[in-house]
Amino acid sequence: MAARALGWLAVLALIAGLGAAFGYAPREAVQGNVQRIMYLHVPAVLTAYLAFALVFLGSVGYLLSRRAGWDRLALAAAEPGVLFTGITIASGSIWGKPTWGTWWTWDARLTSTAVLFLVYVGYLLLRGMVDEPDRRARAAAVVGILGAANIPIVHFSVTWWRALHQPAAILGPGSAPMPLWMKMALAINWLAFTLVFAYFLTRRMEIARLEQEA
Amino acid sequence: MPDNWSYVFSAYGLAAVVLVGYWRRLAGRAKSLAGRGERKGP
Amino acid sequence: MSAYVRRAWMVAWKDVLSERRSKESLNALVFFSLLLLFVFQFALGPERARVEAALPGLLWLGFILSGLLAFGRTFLVERENDCWEGLVLSPGDKSAIYLGKLAGNVLVMILVEVVLLVLFAVFFGLDFTPVLPALAAVLALGTFGLASVGTLFGAITAQMRARELLFPVLLLPAVVPVLLASVSATQTVLAGEPLADAAAWLKLLAAADLVYLVVGVLTFEFVLEG
Repeated sequence: MAARALGWLAVLALIAGLGAAFGYAPREAVQGNVQRIMYLHVPAVLTAYLAFALVFLGSVGYLLSRRAGWDRLALAAAEPGVLFTGITIASGSIWGKPTWGTWWTWDARLTSTAVLFLVYVGYLLLRGMVDEPDRRARAAAVVGILGAANIPIVHFSVTWWRALHQPAAILGPGSAPMPLWMKMALAINWLAFTLVFAYFLTRRMEIARLEQEA
Repeated sequence: MPDNWSYVFSAYGLAAVVLVGYWRRLAGRAKSLAGRGERKGP
Repeated sequence: MSAYVRRAWMVAWKDVLSERRSKESLNALVFFSLLLLFVFQFALGPERARVEAALPGLLWLGFILSGLLAFGRTFLVERENDCWEGLVLSPGDKSAIYLGKLAGNVLVMILVEVVLLVLFAVFFGLDFTPVLPALAAVLALGTFGLASVGTLFGAITAQMRARELLFPVLLLPAVVPVLLASVSATQTVLAGEPLADAAAWLKLLAAADLVYLVVGVLTFEFVLEG
């Protein structure tokens, strides 16, 4: 089955990613080894964006075609999407504690990601509260479409708001440009997370299909 | 700057718990669906 | 085209008329604004300076809380009088209903906002008159943003049992940008600075309003089925 293959591929990539993050990626000059959290934090947020793009796709697809498969795509993307968003926030917060001294900084990315989290948790709550499949799919689709359209708006508003109140605090390696080894470690971990997401997506869609046929 | 490995490991550990937890949830649901399918028959 | 506009107008006018006769919603909302004023004062303590410093945020908190009540009730009349099917079965482009309801909501919100401003002026000895035009511009843009999402989500949650819980949960994250932009722009305006200083925020608000309006108009018919 495709899901099985994806799963094993994902595990392999994760192992490679961990090896890169802890092995050959260099210890960062300014922040020390705590910076290695970046190899978790950045791939997680990128994967979350992919997930919500798929939620948008599934939402539009359902409204236009009324085929349940699109709605299953939206649901199956939203669940892991929320998880990866949560991981992004948690890892960002944990990174922030030794770096900036507090568990939460109203840093632009952290705040935007938190808003994203709230939007899509609401999406899942909505889905949980409507029983009739077509109504659920339609309601979720509209919320999903607005949520996706809102992402750039949230990003800009939070970034400008943040710039007003505090100087920019960049959660990244020091001011020096990123060495190649770091970029590669990031890339491998991003691939690994994308594969994990694809695996979750495939399995969740299958489960949704079986549940509908039952 | 101190290395703060405990933070690194807690971040990765948390991610691992979340991802493995979701994987197990999916596996559990798939299993119960498969069991239901078998009982219903062809 | 004119039939569409007429339909939207009819929806708005019907709501305005029924509200003018019963005045139940508006009275309660106005009273709610008064209550909010007291709650804010009690929450912040007796020092006037604290309230003044927090004023832009308090104003928009007041508007959003009132909006949660007002928008949640957008389809209450249709729901309670078994008229939902009437909306579903109405001919033509359903988005006209959205626009009509949106217009009604904007009107209600503006009334509530004026009342809240007057109350703040009276109770805290503030004078908004020098900045009134600029303030009005910010209020208009921000209110439209709140109402456009509020009307859409109000329709989605209208038929749900968990409506009171789900509506705020869906609305508040969605209007974060409107809140951020409106409070920032209001702060600029209340400080006496020219409106042009808040230009970036106003442009963001205008862009957001447009996006929300387009999404609302395009997706409303899908909300209104069955």
